[in-house]
Amino acid sequence: MTAAQTRGERLALAFLGLHPDRKRKLLDRFGTPGDLMAAVRRGRVEGIGSEAAIPAEQCREAIGACGCRVMMLGDPDYPGALAGIEDPPDVLFVVGSVPLEVGVGVVGTRRSTRYGTRIATAYGEAIARAGWPLVSGLARGVDAAAHLGTVAGNGIGVAVLGSGPDITYPREHRPLRDRLVEMGGAAITEYPPGTPPHGWRFPPRNRIISGLSAAVVVVEAAVTGGALVTAARGLEQGRVVFAVPGDIDREASAGCNRLIRDGAVPVFEAADLMEALSLVMGPPRSPPEPVPTPDGESPESDLVLSEGTTVEALGRRLGVAGSALVALIGRLEAHGAIRRDGEWLLPGH
Amino acid sequence: MFASVTSAALVGVEPCPVRVEVDVSGRTRAFTIVGLPDAAVREARERVRSAIASTGHHFPSRVVTVNLAPADLPKVGSAYDLPIALGVLAASGEVPRAVTDVVAIGELALDGTVRPARGGLAAGIVARRSKSPCLVSAGGFTEAAMSGGDVRGVRSLAHAVAVALGEDAAAAPPAEVEVADPVPDLAAVRGQTLARRAVEVAAAGGHHLMLMGPPGAGKTMLARALPGVLPDLTQSEGLEVAQAYAAAGRPPPTGPRPPFRSPHHSATMAAILGGGSGVPVPGELTLADRGVLFLDELAEFPVHLLDALRQPIEEGRVHIARKGASVSFPCRIQLVAATNPCPCGYRGDERTPCRCSPASIDRYRSRLSGPLLDRFDVRVPVPRVAVDELLGPPGEGSAAVRARVTVAREAQRERGAPNSVLTREHLDRLTWTPDSERLLRTAMDRLGLTGRGWDRVRRVARTIADLAGSAVVTGDHVAEAMALRGSA
Repeated sequence: MTAAQTRGERLALAFLGLHPDRKRKLLDRFGTPGDLMAAVRRGRVEGIGSEAAIPAEQCREAIGACGCRVMMLGDPDYPGALAGIEDPPDVLFVVGSVPLEVGVGVVGTRRSTRYGTRIATAYGEAIARAGWPLVSGLARGVDAAAHLGTVAGNGIGVAVLGSGPDITYPREHRPLRDRLVEMGGAAITEYPPGTPPHGWRFPPRNRIISGLSAAVVVVEAAVTGGALVTAARGLEQGRVVFAVPGDIDREASAGCNRLIRDGAVPVFEAADLMEALSLVMGPPRSPPEPVPTPDGESPESDLVLSEGTTVEALGRRLGVAGSALVALIGRLEAHGAIRRDGEWLLPGH
Repeated sequence: MFASVTSAALVGVEPCPVRVEVDVSGRTRAFTIVGLPDAAVREARERVRSAIASTGHHFPSRVVTVNLAPADLPKVGSAYDLPIALGVLAASGEVPRAVTDVVAIGELALDGTVRPARGGLAAGIVARRSKSPCLVSAGGFTEAAMSGGDVRGVRSLAHAVAVALGEDAAAAPPAEVEVADPVPDLAAVRGQTLARRAVEVAAAGGHHLMLMGPPGAGKTMLARALPGVLPDLTQSEGLEVAQAYAAAGRPPPTGPRPPFRSPHHSATMAAILGGGSGVPVPGELTLADRGVLFLDELAEFPVHLLDALRQPIEEGRVHIARKGASVSFPCRIQLVAATNPCPCGYRGDERTPCRCSPASIDRYRSRLSGPLLDRFDVRVPVPRVAVDELLGPPGEGSAAVRARVTVAREAQRERGAPNSVLTREHLDRLTWTPDSERLLRTAMDRLGLTGRGWDRVRRVARTIADLAGSAVVTGDHVAEAMALRGSA
């Protein structure tokens, strides 16, 4: 079998969209991808009909149609860190460009609190400014908040999907995903085009998140859930696991607190995380850009928030209260120095 | 023999005199009431007969005909028992004719006791206009006395005859019950800089107010505090409010505070707008006239009900047409709405995760849009207050805020209209400093302020200038207005 034929068989195998564990078991039984696919075509594999075997040309057409490309284990651009894990995906479907350097995984619960999303965004932005790629899962809650931080910090982000490359789940994160790709990041998956986001497809993709990362930061996680799976896979893969402590009686932080008890490194505000990360990642690639000060029409617009705050906290910080504080907020917002989300004051653009 | 006594009925909330004409003639025994009486009025026959017997007088064994004029106005309830009894006694010559020179209202017990009945306030007003004494039950004295007429409380039918003839003194008015002011003081609201200011500004300009925040953040308390920072009702305004309550058959609110009504979101259209079978009665809209209508959990109210609110709120009157009667009630209200940020209430909360799906949040939000939402000039978030703020010093009290609000309202009265109803033409004619105009332009560019949003900011800015006693609107006023405009 020629190299090209072998690649074709590996691609056809990937297009079966199997769970990685099942794929590994079948390969153990049948040998090479070529042997396995031959068995499938003859209808010898139970549970997989012979029609599931798609010819390599059709696979390539489907890949071309959805605007992604294929990366195979052993290719020069296949991320080295991921290749080194125990069960790396044989084929990756990629939209955008996967950074060659190893990144930082930031994960957490989909049911995040404001505390979790605020911290995830702050971390995402700090990681972006340090020039490290951020890897997460594009899910609701912490994942999306971390990716938003990447966008805010103008960094490189990799979203690892639990569906085919042509499907975004949840759907409303499509603009976020597109933005990450535009900014030089990528959306990647081991599942072929057209694969719907089944629940069982998500735990396996967590090994890819930790595989692409030198360190995994769990921002907020319940005791059950994908974030702890990612942390566990990260530990198996020899990654450093960081966790953000939370109230001990809060369900959304129980997983993080347990990780800390079991030996994960607790991290606090973004600066603390950056210090800890630099031990793992080396010095930041690009020095943090100085924050541009907006052209001051009024002295207040020099104020730059580094993170979200509340009206009262801002008032205390600036020594302003009552109607003067209300007017100040109106001015800051009009000049784009802050954004508002409900009761929260967030840094402007 | 013929006699007539004046009583009163309500047309909408307007008191209207009713003449109770009694004719006693013929030889057979009969007792008829005509003039659109309802069942309760018709049953007056039995009560009047017994009550007269209890006084020791004779009920005439002749043809007694009672006509309630104007004959085409529907009469409801038991309030005409007393005037009918007085008329029968006078027409049959049992007592001197002078007993009929009164306005009387009240229900009779079989033993002759006079009980309070609906319409006491209306009778008081009718009596004041006709400069006659007004007889009401001792229990109904307080309500009727709000009219400012010559109101006399009577205990029984015999006592009523004696009082009408000037032979006996009226019953002593019930002792004034000191009712604790139920309006919470703004001083109890700690932190909440935006929301406190929003309440003050909304009160000063008559702007409708929207409060958005998680459960337990204090939205209801802020809304309830609003009547406490509004100027007290004048005597005539207080009388109008009492009339609306009387028309709904409720005891009038005590004290000079503007009314506060908070209908539940399961209330029917008729309960809120007014209506009911037969003669329409005022709904919550009218009970909140000259005061505050608070819609808690705005998104839970049916959409058709919110749509139906819009026109009456703009016009200040609600028109109700029913078979046989078409009335309009006043509803010059200030609307306060409270809503959670999402169905479970915890979106954006610091500690508790939100359990809503994005789709359900979208659905929830879409219920909060539309024409009624446009009417809310002031919209603020109400976060849960952090513990250190709860322990902090109390905020400014309602009395100090009310003083500023009163001054601001006075300035608007001089200009001719409350700021909440200013149109774009009005706003363009106001004086704006260059700084304020620059800020408005910046906001339009940066925040994508729409034309309507621009007008809202300008209306609120004018109110803030009034609170500051400023004739021109400065940049600071506009900046504050922008912070109180909410998002989008």
